[in-house]
Amino acid sequence: MRVALDLLGGDHAPDAVIDGALLAVDRDPAVEVVLVGPPAVAAALLAARGRSLPVVAARESVGMDEDPARGVRAKRDATVRTIHALVRSGSCDAAVSVGPTGAVLAGAVLTLGRISSRPAVAVVVPTAAGPVVLLDAGATSETTPEQLVSHAVLGTAYAQALGTAHPRVGLLNVGTEPGKGDQLRKDAFALLERAPVRFVGNVEGHDVPRGGPADVVVTDGFTGNVLLKAIEGASTQDLPRSALLLGVDGITVVGHGASDGEDVAACVAHAARLVGEGLLERLRATLNVGAA
Amino acid sequence: MTAEQVLDVLRGAIATVLEVDPAGLQRGTRFVDDLSADSLALVEIVEIVEHDLAQQRPGFRIDDEDLDRLLTLGDAVDYAVARL
Repeated sequence: MRVALDLLGGDHAPDAVIDGALLAVDRDPAVEVVLVGPPAVAAALLAARGRSLPVVAARESVGMDEDPARGVRAKRDATVRTIHALVRSGSCDAAVSVGPTGAVLAGAVLTLGRISSRPAVAVVVPTAAGPVVLLDAGATSETTPEQLVSHAVLGTAYAQALGTAHPRVGLLNVGTEPGKGDQLRKDAFALLERAPVRFVGNVEGHDVPRGGPADVVVTDGFTGNVLLKAIEGASTQDLPRSALLLGVDGITVVGHGASDGEDVAACVAHAARLVGEGLLERLRATLNVGAA
Repeated sequence: MTAEQVLDVLRGAIATVLEVDPAGLQRGTRFVDDLSADSLALVEIVEIVEHDLAQQRPGFRIDDEDLDRLLTLGDAVDYAVARL
């Protein structure tokens, strides 16, 4: 199981990335991490730790201040392109980055392609009533009603792959009654009622950490990210430190920009687990998408 | 390659990325205002068009600094035809 890891992604890169890579391989001998970044940087950090890992060269990163898609287009040697090129070529089984989500999304879409109209960041929130898949948790801030329907279909396929036979889909809103919310929510509600998913209507923010009304909760990436971080800030439970970039034609796991070594290791372990479970193949089958 | 042929290439790329009916795409259709194409969608469309038109002219590329000036399908078609 080989995981391509973005050496330059995250606030604490490259040190936290190296530390996370070493933790991940030490904890699971079946996992091999391929560092993707400047070879000299990787060599110096590994030498300082008396360790070795395979390294694939990529010398550029896409900054927080750049338009992600334009940045990835302009930088052919960017780490967020190369980690996905390794997956596309079959050299690696999954890609991991704790760099800017928009850049990782652009790198994945432009290199691997999509299996849905708009990929989303999907987080599995553990609750007493069972896992809740929340998406989009931060890939795309501005969303159309049609894209929320796409998220519902994707989230349903993901929840099924995780073991929920007939996932219930809720639309995140400010109240449960039909007709609540802004125009995006009203239009999405009407489309979801006719969509090929088990739509159960509007749900509220507290329904995500509590669970119960829905197994899949869809929203735009702005609201989803705000909700996720609010849950993280208020929660005493152990929330996942990684998320799946759902809807690209490969396994890509993203983490917080502020990730430390433990967080990076959790992202690598998450990616390896999803590969081992054959998630992509199950998603392709559920969505009726052929292999690339 | 004629302007109509380039327009068909562009229609195909837009239909793939944005999942819209290519028959409704005209020279005057605006990428952002009419199709709500965001930055990632625009770059996806550009890379598909570059790939397809490179069959006609190897190395065909749309310069990044020119992207902001291509507001309509007609703008993009005229730009490409001039460089093929």
